[in-house]
Amino acid sequence: MPEDAAIALEGVSKRFGAARVLRKVDASFPAGAVTLVIGGNGAGKSTLLKIMAGLSRPSSGRLARGAGADGGEARLGYVGHATFLYPGLTALENLAFWRTAHRLPLDGAALLALLARVGLAAHAHERARVFSRGMAQRLNLARVLMLAPDILLLDEPMTGLDAPSRELLRREIAAARAAGACVALVSHDLEGDGPLADRVLALASGAVAYEGPAAAFFARAGEGPCCA
Amino acid sequence: MLRLSLAIARKDLVLTLVRGNGLVQALLLGLLLLFVFSLAQAPGEKVGPQAAAAMFWLASAFSQVLIFNRLYDVEEANGARLGLALLPAPVQGVWLGKLAAGLVLLLLAQAVFLPAALVFLGQDLVAHPFTGLAILALVDAGMCALGSLLGALAQGQSGRESLLGVVLFPLLTPLLLAGIGVGAQCLGAPAPDGPAAWLRLAAAFDAVFLGVGLVLFGFIYPGED
Amino acid sequence: MPKLLALAGGAALAGCQWLVWCYAPEEATLGLMQKIFYVHLPLAWWALISFFVVFLGSLAVLARRSEAADRLCAAAAEVGVLFSGLTLLTGMIWARRSWGVWWTWDPRLSTALVMWFIYAAYLLLRGLDMAPERRRTVCAVVGVAAFLDVPLVFVSARIWRSIHPAVFASRGGGLEPEMKLTAVACVAAMGLFWAALVWLRKRQLDLAARLEAADADED
Repeated sequence: MPEDAAIALEGVSKRFGAARVLRKVDASFPAGAVTLVIGGNGAGKSTLLKIMAGLSRPSSGRLARGAGADGGEARLGYVGHATFLYPGLTALENLAFWRTAHRLPLDGAALLALLARVGLAAHAHERARVFSRGMAQRLNLARVLMLAPDILLLDEPMTGLDAPSRELLRREIAAARAAGACVALVSHDLEGDGPLADRVLALASGAVAYEGPAAAFFARAGEGPCCA
Repeated sequence: MLRLSLAIARKDLVLTLVRGNGLVQALLLGLLLLFVFSLAQAPGEKVGPQAAAAMFWLASAFSQVLIFNRLYDVEEANGARLGLALLPAPVQGVWLGKLAAGLVLLLLAQAVFLPAALVFLGQDLVAHPFTGLAILALVDAGMCALGSLLGALAQGQSGRESLLGVVLFPLLTPLLLAGIGVGAQCLGAPAPDGPAAWLRLAAAFDAVFLGVGLVLFGFIYPGED
Repeated sequence: MPKLLALAGGAALAGCQWLVWCYAPEEATLGLMQKIFYVHLPLAWWALISFFVVFLGSLAVLARRSEAADRLCAAAAEVGVLFSGLTLLTGMIWARRSWGVWWTWDPRLSTALVMWFIYAAYLLLRGLDMAPERRRTVCAVVGVAAFLDVPLVFVSARIWRSIHPAVFASRGGGLEPEMKLTAVACVAAMGLFWAALVWLRKRQLDLAARLEAADADED
């Protein structure tokens, strides 16, 4: 595992029954940097993030995680296709539950401030059931930010968001990187999310097609179609 | 882990009792069972204490299946199950939390079933309040320990209510027999040997399946997509 | 090897027929009907052992994620359900002749019935459409819980009966030595047959798994 890596994968493969989703993936994700994970549909991006989050066990290969900022286990924030929200609870109750479940102290005022940060202050006491897709995703973002993660795994977080929400999300990603977090961002929107990226990991049919600095990748991509 | 369990139990009770109608279905099903069975009495006849106790526990067992399906269903709406997997606490906290929430809901349901059984089936409670409460507590604890384990397992399957019932009921046999045996005594059935043997059996069942739940729950929950 | 076992089991079972019909004395009160005992007892024993194998296999699945152990569980559970079903049938015939009813709350009979229910549900679970890895762990958990339940079921059935007046005298007790020998021989012969069945079924499942893996490699 490289020195600065917050997460490193060594020869990670994953198969679901007969289907091979990942083939011997080697990759490392440095702290304080945004790694853009790209690839066509079915390239294995989501599976890769799930394995990094510990939600899925690799069929073979190893996964190593560095220590967190406080020296303990790295705190992990994961935004997947599901929002983890309970429709019957209000926005505030949802945040409060996840905070308690993560063994973090509860502070109502701080949670309200967080809701304001993602533009949901006016909806704090509404049930998540009535939230639109975009609002739910903002609340989901608040849930992750509240954990102050050392590792932030974002699986197509922009889906269904309007332009202002996307801007908000990009601001928060930049802030997390500035705070020293390791960010892995799965995206199809190279134009919008490309400028955020320090590094690129491109997957094709479950294998690594490119891993390295973003600048070099985009310079190469300018010459011809690659993997996105 | 206990804090996680408490948070989960609280959230589930709020979702079920305050924000949902989770218990209504379980209550109606149990009451219907009791009512339909009351038709077994010919006019002027009384159902025996053992049959009445059996019906009470049957109603409890059916509502328990609905309760634990509901409790695990709550985690499926927006994939919260995966969120629970990311928590820094042992996942057994989820099992314990659901067990506690299920126990509260089951006791609430039984608070309705018991008077209903007495009324519909024409029974009288004959003393033994402590014995009755002891067996109720022991049987309910065992039912919920196993229900919380198997409820997680049936999750995501089609026809999971009936699946849970089919797997759960035979495993619960010893506990239900204990409940019926002591329940019948509480309703006045003659009991030469007293309830001691049943109480011991129910306690042994609880010990075994609390241990099984604690050890094995981590293998099946949260599971992958 | 399984063929050898099957042959040996078949021969041994045939040999046992001689013991059953010519060597063991006829029971005084039950007459020829008692001979069903020599089928009933081995079936019951090996059904129970099947479920014990499922239990051990399930532990191996949980501890080592062993796929082979999972297939052994599948084979043993299938044979176990078959054997315990036959145990119930022969037991009912016995009960009819011996006690005059088809069914009675005999602790052993009831335990066999509940076990049959439990492991039938287990087989149902195996047949569900789940991700293979998930199915393995789910079934292993049920396989462990189910076997731990068996003694509890037996004890509860026993208490249940003692509360009622004992209508039927308990059977068994003093078997004639010739009967005992015959019974032991039958259990052993059935064991060979059982091992052959489980082995064959396990090998079938192994081959199916290998075929599937080969298919996967072609992609």
